[in-house]
Amino acid sequence: MLTRRSAILAGGAFCAAPMVHAQGDAPFRFALTPVFLDNDAAVISALRTALGEAMGREIELVQRRTYQEISGALLDGSVDAAWTCGYPYLQHRDQLSLLGVPVWRGAPLYQSYLIVAADDAATSLADLRGGAHAFSDPDSNSGYLVTASDLARIGATPEEFFSRSIFTYGHRNVVRAVAGGLTRSGSVDGYVWEVLNSVEPGLTARTRVISRSEDLGFPPFVARNDRMEEAGIMSCRTALQGLDKADEGKEVLRLLFLDAVVPADPALFDGIAARMAALPGG
Amino acid sequence: MIALPRFRNLPVTVRVPLITAALMIVLALVASQSVLGALGRVQDARLSETARLHVEGLAVALGPSVLRQDVWEVYDILDRARQANDGQRLLLTVVADERGRVLAATDPRRAPVGEDAAEFGLGAVAPEAVRMTGDPELRVTSPLQYQGRTIGGIVTELDVTDLLAERRQVTLWLLFGNALATGVLAFGGWLAVARILRPVGALVQAMDASDGAPRPIPTTEIPHGDPGLARLIETYNQMTTAVEERAEAERRLADRERFVSLGRLSSALAHEVNNPLGGLLNAADTISTYADRPDVVRQSAELMQRGLGHLRDVTRAMLDQNRLDRAGQPLRPEDFEDLRLLFEPEAHSRNLALEWEVEAGAEALASQPAAPVRQVALNLLLNAGAAAGKGGEVGLKVSNGGERLSIAVSNTGNAMGEADLRRLLASGPLPPGGGVGLRLVHDIVSGLGGTLHHDRADGRTVIRVDLPATGAGHA
Repeated sequence: MLTRRSAILAGGAFCAAPMVHAQGDAPFRFALTPVFLDNDAAVISALRTALGEAMGREIELVQRRTYQEISGALLDGSVDAAWTCGYPYLQHRDQLSLLGVPVWRGAPLYQSYLIVAADDAATSLADLRGGAHAFSDPDSNSGYLVTASDLARIGATPEEFFSRSIFTYGHRNVVRAVAGGLTRSGSVDGYVWEVLNSVEPGLTARTRVISRSEDLGFPPFVARNDRMEEAGIMSCRTALQGLDKADEGKEVLRLLFLDAVVPADPALFDGIAARMAALPGG
Repeated sequence: MIALPRFRNLPVTVRVPLITAALMIVLALVASQSVLGALGRVQDARLSETARLHVEGLAVALGPSVLRQDVWEVYDILDRARQANDGQRLLLTVVADERGRVLAATDPRRAPVGEDAAEFGLGAVAPEAVRMTGDPELRVTSPLQYQGRTIGGIVTELDVTDLLAERRQVTLWLLFGNALATGVLAFGGWLAVARILRPVGALVQAMDASDGAPRPIPTTEIPHGDPGLARLIETYNQMTTAVEERAEAERRLADRERFVSLGRLSSALAHEVNNPLGGLLNAADTISTYADRPDVVRQSAELMQRGLGHLRDVTRAMLDQNRLDRAGQPLRPEDFEDLRLLFEPEAHSRNLALEWEVEAGAEALASQPAAPVRQVALNLLLNAGAAAGKGGEVGLKVSNGGERLSIAVSNTGNAMGEADLRRLLASGPLPPGGGVGLRLVHDIVSGLGGTLHHDRADGRTVIRVDLPATGAGHA
């Protein structure tokens, strides 16, 4: 495996060498979604530096508002790779492949949290009927799918269960919406909430987690199936999976509160697939 | 009405600082009002500008989101604007949609999404019309325009507690500062005015000197830095000198008057001395011619004795009139004999009929000092003699009654002129021209505590001097 990867890497490097030269003005385009901590300039800068160092070429980090835009850009080739969510990956699993999955707290897994304001008496999803609810993105697993599928299991839809549901296009925004009282409850990425709990305890203190989902596959790094053999994509996969070995990479992982990026099997996302199946028409 | 005269009675060194302080207070009030007015205008302008920028900035940012009814985007913009503002001025911002329903607010708990936004617009004004009213919270409203149409509205609650506190603080500082400045300036004014007016005070003191005689101000106390005041004091000093000189002159004049009155008698007295001298020389010649005839010698010697006796009486009367060491001696009947001896030759030379009547006894006369009374009587007699003219009558009557001695001098001449009467009876300034004899009479009689009376009846002028019997040596 190691030998093969080295050979591929070597071959890739060999093949890529003229390309790198030729593509000197065309940086590798890597997409991020606002779902993550994209508002932290330090994280973005460190990620660009780490990937650039590891891949030996300039990295252009592309930010879009929604997963749908990221998926579209990925599929139409306007970005080369992306850090997206398990749900959009599964939605386009026939066209996308995994470059790696981050390891958080020892496993490539995370949960979806259902949060309410700190002073709210609700203890479960059932208590939230009739209140306003904040989702992060209609294509987010933790920020929509988990709660929507939970509601589907009791025969409800977000539109009828909640008085109003809004999309904030950011897990941090879900926490803000609930903390600020804009909505009564919110569906948020457990990893993001926990990281925020470390870096912005004042914000998360105004919210309370009333339920946690089962462990689900962590949002993965993906690229298009048909481009997986391209030198840039392979270099990117190597760079991502080697973040925990280089100083710049370690810095990125430290900033993101992650342990490493590891190769992953699509089966990691079976839990999300099961929830997708629970949705009406899923 | 009562305080005014009291204020007028205050010394000028108190009044001027008080007026300064009052003017300072008025000035301070006007200035404070002006400063507060300016502050109010600045605050209003600042407030209006803040509100306008806030609303305009939000309107630009919110337009597309409001149009899409995107609750989160509107909230996100408001929330970030609030955080950027640090929440110090903007308490609450509510964005309403076209139907007047809350789309989002910085505090969704106070203004829940979908609620009627009308209650938040109560009492709200346009940003450019917002003014400090004393209310710590002010509301500003503005329609939300996007692509030329109104798609909603913004209401912002402004916290102006800090501006009110600033105004209150400025008011307090103005009050305190102005009170302090007024106090300091009034005190400074007091010191300055007191210093400036010190020479005036010295002048007033010098003029009000207890002995009644104005005394000059020492050169060292003259403020040479103030030419006007220095000139005033120098003029005053010159005046005091002039007053002293005049008093001295009057004193010398009074002394001389005794010689003057004798001078006026000199020609008559010369006759009085000359006439017996002729007889004496004849007698001496007779004695030398008939030395061997004892009866002739004896007769001539008697003649010489009588003539020399007369000369002795005349010279003694003249000496008595001028002897200063007689001052303070009591009046005696002999004094009136002396006066008659002195005045008779004058009367004879003018062919005057002399009525001489001294009724008062030696005891009544002794209560008066001799020198001044003799001077008064002689002056009055000389004037009466001059007024009576050739062949007139002059009378002297000395009587006593009650507690006083009366000396009446009369003449049959023309009535006294207005100027002479003023010299004699009034104490005002001397009219120009004329002698000082009558005024001297007036001054001496006043000094003795007596009174002068003038009467004109049946072609006679009578001047009566009434002197109280207060005892000798009064003058």
